[in-house]
Amino acid sequence: MRAIGKGSLSSILAVGLHVTRVILWIMLGLVTLALIIMPFAPAIADLFSHSDDINIDGVIDAEDFIKVFYAFVTTAVMLFVVNRLLEILKALRFGSPFVRENADRFRGIGYALLMGEGAKFAFGFLSLIFDADVELNMTFLSWLAIITVFVLAEVFREGARMKEEQDLTV
Amino acid sequence: MSISVKLDRVLLDRGMSLTELSERVGVTIANLSILKTGKAKAIRFSTLEAICKELDCQPGDILFFDEDGRPSAD
Repeated sequence: MRAIGKGSLSSILAVGLHVTRVILWIMLGLVTLALIIMPFAPAIADLFSHSDDINIDGVIDAEDFIKVFYAFVTTAVMLFVVNRLLEILKALRFGSPFVRENADRFRGIGYALLMGEGAKFAFGFLSLIFDADVELNMTFLSWLAIITVFVLAEVFREGARMKEEQDLTV
Repeated sequence: MSISVKLDRVLLDRGMSLTELSERVGVTIANLSILKTGKAKAIRFSTLEAICKELDCQPGDILFFDEDGRPSAD
């Protein structure tokens, strides 16, 4: 399978990532909306509770807040990563992948993933404080992936340096 | 970079244009411009040999080491 051009793996990946980006934007919008509405949830529930047909539980506890805020952070991190991956793929399809910008993008992805994992610890700590039951799925594989991304960033940085030297060799 | 290139001076002495040198040594004008303007990071021995042959000069006539020059980034 070709690496660049129509029908190549990068093109297919780009289509997949574009679709994922749209889904993530929708998710982020919904989660943000939920975060904004949540403090007013009891009032809204109270508004609808006059009707006999609707029975809404308007009680919002710490667990709900932690879950929604965790979803917000996770979605934001995923969106950031998908955007950077699309930029890397764009550089691959329309030019040279070995540019310093791609090394910075990989490093950005690494930091974003690191922040995501760090957020898990923070939310886990909050769950303990508020005695909330929030599943956070911390795995060794995630940390291995983060290290891999940072290594990849350094490989790209060296590749960019070598490419620059090659271009400026007469 | 501490190494400076004085290709323009040698070209002026020989009364040769960059285009003419490019055609004679088989190196693109773009690459020779990179060399002339001091943006080059490296020069191949084959390129240096061809330039010296066509300009009837020594590598030392083209390349100079300037100790006070700005050191290379790498």
